[in-house]
Amino acid sequence: MALLARVAERLYWAARYIERAEDTSRIIRAYHDLVVDFPGTVMLRWEPLAAIAGSSIAVDPTIDASGEMTVLRFLIADRRNAGSVASCVAAARENLRTTREVIPREAWQVVNSLSHAVDSSAESAVGRQSRDRFLSRVVDDSRRLDGILDSTMTRANPYRLFRLGRLIERADMTTRVLGVRAAALLQLQAAGVEPLSDEVQWMGVLRSVSALQMYQRATKAPITGEAVVRYLLFYASFPRSVQSCLDEVRSALVALPSPQDVLAVLDETQEALDAAQPLASDGHALDDAMDLLQLAIADLDHAVHARFGVAEH
Amino acid sequence: MDELIGDDGAPRPVAAALMQLIDSLGTETLVERQQVAELDILTMGITFTVYSDGQNIDRAWPFDIIPRVIPGDEWDRVTAGLAQRLRALNMFIDDLYNDQRVIADGVFPPDLLEASVNFRPQCRGVHPKHGVWAHISGSDLVRDDDGVMYVLEDNLRVPSGVSYVLENRAVAKRAFAELFARQQIRPVDGYTHELKKLLISLAPDGISDPQLAVLTPGIYNSAYFEHSFLAQRMGAELVEGADLVVESDDCVYMRTIAGLERVHVVYRRIDDLFLDPEVFRPDSTLGVAGLMRAWKAGNVGLANAPGAGVADDKVVYAWVPDLIRYYLGEDQLIPNVPTYRTMYPDERQFVIDNIGDLVVKPANESGGYGIVIGDRASREQLDGVLAAIEADPRNWVAQPILSLSTVPTLVPCDGHGFEVEPRHVDLRPFVLTGAGSYVTPGGLTRVALPKGSLVVNSSQGGGSKDTWVIDGVFDDGYR
Repeated sequence: MALLARVAERLYWAARYIERAEDTSRIIRAYHDLVVDFPGTVMLRWEPLAAIAGSSIAVDPTIDASGEMTVLRFLIADRRNAGSVASCVAAARENLRTTREVIPREAWQVVNSLSHAVDSSAESAVGRQSRDRFLSRVVDDSRRLDGILDSTMTRANPYRLFRLGRLIERADMTTRVLGVRAAALLQLQAAGVEPLSDEVQWMGVLRSVSALQMYQRATKAPITGEAVVRYLLFYASFPRSVQSCLDEVRSALVALPSPQDVLAVLDETQEALDAAQPLASDGHALDDAMDLLQLAIADLDHAVHARFGVAEH
Repeated sequence: MDELIGDDGAPRPVAAALMQLIDSLGTETLVERQQVAELDILTMGITFTVYSDGQNIDRAWPFDIIPRVIPGDEWDRVTAGLAQRLRALNMFIDDLYNDQRVIADGVFPPDLLEASVNFRPQCRGVHPKHGVWAHISGSDLVRDDDGVMYVLEDNLRVPSGVSYVLENRAVAKRAFAELFARQQIRPVDGYTHELKKLLISLAPDGISDPQLAVLTPGIYNSAYFEHSFLAQRMGAELVEGADLVVESDDCVYMRTIAGLERVHVVYRRIDDLFLDPEVFRPDSTLGVAGLMRAWKAGNVGLANAPGAGVADDKVVYAWVPDLIRYYLGEDQLIPNVPTYRTMYPDERQFVIDNIGDLVVKPANESGGYGIVIGDRASREQLDGVLAAIEADPRNWVAQPILSLSTVPTLVPCDGHGFEVEPRHVDLRPFVLTGAGSYVTPGGLTRVALPKGSLVVNSSQGGGSKDTWVIDGVFDDGYR
């Protein structure tokens, strides 16, 4: 089945954008959980969230309450921020609108409906009252899209390009969720506070990637930071672990035409993952390890783009 | 006159079941169904693109829930008339690019051809398959007060709207499920299958499983929705000019992630002049350099053939009855609207003397642009168009002002809420011409939404309706 290079590029971006919308929603929920669960007197600040989501924003550090609204408007509703949930959903819709001939009609309708819903409700989702419902809709529709593609899309090159976009974005996201945790640790250390209820907070991390229940079944021991980090990076049987994403990237790539150059870069990404041995209790170590891994994943993205995008021609 | 309601105020037999249902539902329920239909349109992503304030905006397709209905036996006559018309027009185009018998025999004036802006000398001597140039066409039909359906104009270049015929039906089926269960409403879904068969028949000789492509000007084009829709429904690739390349073997290829792959038939939705910078406008970035070479070498089928627009001309229109007689030896089955050609002094004088009672149209504009309706125009507008006619008489035609028929339509009330009121409509059926002919059952009914308006174009605030061709015997009421 033929796949135009231009269409390949749009499919890849559609997948990355919808996954990014989902993942940004997950990160916001995870950080929100940390904030409300935090048992001490130290207020967690919201700006690191923007940095973790790949954006930077200036917030007056003296006004924590307005900081929350400013950061969340930036991350959820601000169309000038290309990484906001609203922008990502709109970009996913536009990329799918222009690749409708290769994707199932129902798949388009999910993202189209979501886009209309986001247009009308993103602004009101900035506040705490309806935030969770909004973010859950984004996450749920993103997964519904995958369900439709899984059950109705031919396993051919268009499907594989979409999968590549999904998996590369997802691997990146899992490292960023761990980055959220690192940021919280750093803030606590800076405030001179010993992390209490460590287990509760790591449960929140697992929940943010829908991994808690599967983690409990896979790991008999009590929840520790060390084990959670290892699980989310290396546990290949869990589909949101970085290792699982890289394995699936590999199986999608080998079925695509002439993937050698990309496979070579994937080997390097795998080496970077193997080399990551972060200390879960050390915010700096975790942060640094995730940064390195994100750079390796970015190289993989560039390689996919160079091989299958229109730039090559 | 109204399509659904007779002069006595009672529903016409063909519309009896529909009007009975509408009456029993009441306006409130009808409005609810209209809103559900609009939500369907939003969810399904049925859009058209308008250019406004310097940017292209994707708008929800305007749809009125109350359909236009046409009895099956009347539609059979229209079908025969359109098939006849397009057969003759295609013979005319093929003749113009080859022997020009029609001119030698004194039927068509040579100076008209010389002045035609849509004649492409680059196409002389080409023999497309089936002798057909305008494979896909849309002819606009209107019904006057006399009850007669007239052909108002032919669109032989890149007519658009057929995707909305199919999507309107999908929406209408949900809105009036009970009527579709009880009545024999002819399905419209077969169009894309017929189009696919036609395109396959244009493939180069010896190719049994041709690669089809729909060539779009791009994602911001006003008809992009339709280009995408047709590609989806036919399993064709949707390509932009930059996706295609013509190699030194004069064959057309597309750029895929696995390298170049051959394309055998291109349904192009780009105007002639942008199609191939080697032959037409050299600055065009929408087209494909070498496409004409490949077509002339017989290595790619093109629909519609370049140059088909020579017969898509409001001046040539006036000759259609003669052309049907000349090529087919038949009388025209669907009449033309009487048309005055300002290039002839006597007809021009008639137009000048009666401009207040005529519709004046530029010969080569589409989309309703440039049309001046005599009894609605200001004195300045009339003087302007008279000056334009003096300056370039070949570029104008004039016709009597027809009173377009109406269909009941759900419109906002003055104060609040909605009411059902008659609004003017036209009808664009789509005709496929290859080895045989296919005419869509019904077509795109466009409706002018402002009270009294005759402008049906969606780019200028027009709406649309589903069109039901209903089989059955209606003279003694619905059965």
